[in-house]
Amino acid sequence: MNRRRFLTATGTAGALSAAGCLGLFETETQSTGRLPPLVEDRPDAVYVPSHVEGMEMAGMGTDGRYKFGLTYSFPHRFWRTTGDRTNKVGVRDADTAHLMVTAWDSDTGTVIPSSSATVTAVKDGDSVFSEKKLWSMLSQNMGVHFGDNVELDGDGTYEVTIDFGPVGTRRAGALAGALGDTASVTVEMDFSQSTLDEVMFEQLDDRKGQRDAVEPMEMEMIPSGQLPTAEDRPGEVLAEGESGDAVILATALDTVPDGVDGDGTYLAVSAQTPHNRYPLPFMSLSATLTRDSETVFDGDLTDTLHPELGYHYGAVIDDVQSGDTLDVAVGAPPQIARHEGYETAFLGMDDVTLSL
Amino acid sequence: MNPTSDGLSRRDFVKAAVAIGGSAALSACLDREGGEEALDLPTGDPAAVPDRQHAWNDALATDDHGNDVPPRHHVLGLFAFDGDPDADRGAVADAFRSLERAYAWQPEGLLFTVGYSPAYFQGFDASLPDSIDLPEPRALAPFEDPDPDSAAFAVHLASDYGSVVLGAEEALRGQVEKLNGVSVTGLPDSVERIERRTGFIGEGLPAENQDVAGIPDSEPVDEDAPLYMGFESGFEKSQATEDRVTIEEGPFAGGTTLHASKIRLDLTQWYEQNDDYVREAEMFCPFHAEEDIVEGTGENMGNSNQIEEHGCPAHASEDAESGVVGHAQKAARAREDGRPIILRRDFDSTDGDRATVHFVALQEAIEDFVATRTMMNGTDLAGEGAVRQRSNNGILQYMTVESRGNYLVPPRDHRALPTPRPE
Repeated sequence: MNRRRFLTATGTAGALSAAGCLGLFETETQSTGRLPPLVEDRPDAVYVPSHVEGMEMAGMGTDGRYKFGLTYSFPHRFWRTTGDRTNKVGVRDADTAHLMVTAWDSDTGTVIPSSSATVTAVKDGDSVFSEKKLWSMLSQNMGVHFGDNVELDGDGTYEVTIDFGPVGTRRAGALAGALGDTASVTVEMDFSQSTLDEVMFEQLDDRKGQRDAVEPMEMEMIPSGQLPTAEDRPGEVLAEGESGDAVILATALDTVPDGVDGDGTYLAVSAQTPHNRYPLPFMSLSATLTRDSETVFDGDLTDTLHPELGYHYGAVIDDVQSGDTLDVAVGAPPQIARHEGYETAFLGMDDVTLSL
Repeated sequence: MNPTSDGLSRRDFVKAAVAIGGSAALSACLDREGGEEALDLPTGDPAAVPDRQHAWNDALATDDHGNDVPPRHHVLGLFAFDGDPDADRGAVADAFRSLERAYAWQPEGLLFTVGYSPAYFQGFDASLPDSIDLPEPRALAPFEDPDPDSAAFAVHLASDYGSVVLGAEEALRGQVEKLNGVSVTGLPDSVERIERRTGFIGEGLPAENQDVAGIPDSEPVDEDAPLYMGFESGFEKSQATEDRVTIEEGPFAGGTTLHASKIRLDLTQWYEQNDDYVREAEMFCPFHAEEDIVEGTGENMGNSNQIEEHGCPAHASEDAESGVVGHAQKAARAREDGRPIILRRDFDSTDGDRATVHFVALQEAIEDFVATRTMMNGTDLAGEGAVRQRSNNGILQYMTVESRGNYLVPPRDHRALPTPRPE
């Protein structure tokens, strides 16, 4: 029973308004009809999905050093990850769009994969949804973002408030001391179904299922969040390995960056997607460094955000020498929701041994 | 459930009446519950009411497993006070005393507690004894920004009958002269109600009241569930005893503290983006999901959420490293000698037409609540990489804390506008 029916029943209906309840039930559903079936025989690896979608830029916002881009696309299936399990989140009839927030540090352009990101939408003064907590997600063409399928209330202008932060991940280098506060921005989002319908949507019948990935989308206003290539990384790249189709790259910095305690050499282990070099956040990694059969370091790697290294897992060690062996143990694969093409990769990941 | 002539079930109607309040709702609700005379609820005897305001458990029924069954309908009224406590104390005492006369101290009658905020006590020259831990409410997680309650005092009314809590509310506001056939008096004019929070707990009520924002239209809430999230929660072994939450010494000995938070729920992800495994892992413990410990709402678990029995708190850190940690598993890390240190008296709500929890908890000191909530946040576990501030971290993904308030619930003798040092 709803409140309005009760009010009618008790004769006090005039006291309260039911405005805002009605639009919730008027939703577009036809856009979901286009979703092609999943690729058959998906490899346990990154693969080209059944289709690729574009996105529509809705607006930008800035609060302190935080910068946000709000975009939307078609509602689509994605997969939540808990431990080594994934569970598929299908598109519901009521879903009208896939809403995405990309967050980055305005000083360094570093894309932020980790935090609490909450969105509230109001249209014509009425609540459409409140404090919806977006998932951290990984998409082949959108990279790392926060997103979910949402029920909008038809065409019109939405005031979308993004509440964000603080960033729990350790910040280092030029990010040391930054992003420790919360941020809130409100973005005006003009939404129309006809605009959404014109967003690029292409089935990839020729390539689907291949062990490759769709190219990162070119976006003028929003950084892609790709990690630097091995050549562009600061410090010395020590070795590269592979686990669960993820690239595992070990780098050493001579100096411990700001924001990280300790003296010695900074060991940075990057876990990234093949092809597109996106960071793989929310893993549990630990490392053992062995020299002449002696263990010289054994400990957890801490998830860290650094402008030049990007998101990585780091530890301070005494030093690193040629001939050392670095064993990287995977306690948990990346606990990030995945868009199609990433859901079968980066699971059941083996430990990696790197010869330095 | 018995559908009525206009298609509304009695339970629905009563819940809605409690949510709306006022004399029209009271009268409508009374009609639905059969009318005051037909209800024939027992009147009360103040001499038979326990000294501890929070002594409810002896009056509650227990289920087949020995779990206390909370009253089904609740109102938490928040009141401002702008008067002279000495001058108004008598009238306030009379108002509460008259409620005790109107209804027996039992769920078929009325159970209630009255608690006073730090702001209330700041109006006195004297301060509370050091033995009382009653700080101003504050944010208890890095990602929350709750409004602090501004009330001087809070009254938590509970009954199995909606008409009883509504009636008690109206009586306190001076809107009715008789309740259950007994003469009652209201609170003085120096008292103003500034907020009312309403709700319910118990099998059937959440399912019948799931037509609110925050719950998907698929009506996912199980008919057997006592709360919106679909699981049993008031396990006897998951609750502190009333003794544990009672202040032992000083002028407020026999009292307790009450924390009230208003928590908005968004259960679309909970119900439509998780499978049973994830819900069980996140609500209880990954072990529960792995071993399929929980059947349906979890009634099969008897009088315990099986967290302690399976050593879940001890492997929270290990589980976090593996990717997911459970709500009950985290919170149980705040237990002492295997028992929680807070006594939950929470209920669900449709206030604001949104799925809501009014989390009312009793503890000897507010720091006990803070310790429990800190463990529940799992911020320590979120540092392990795989578990984040909210996601894969118990049920934090699905809730937003909108307000927090701390109250001192004095022993019954000092229930009416106490000084910080009552004698």
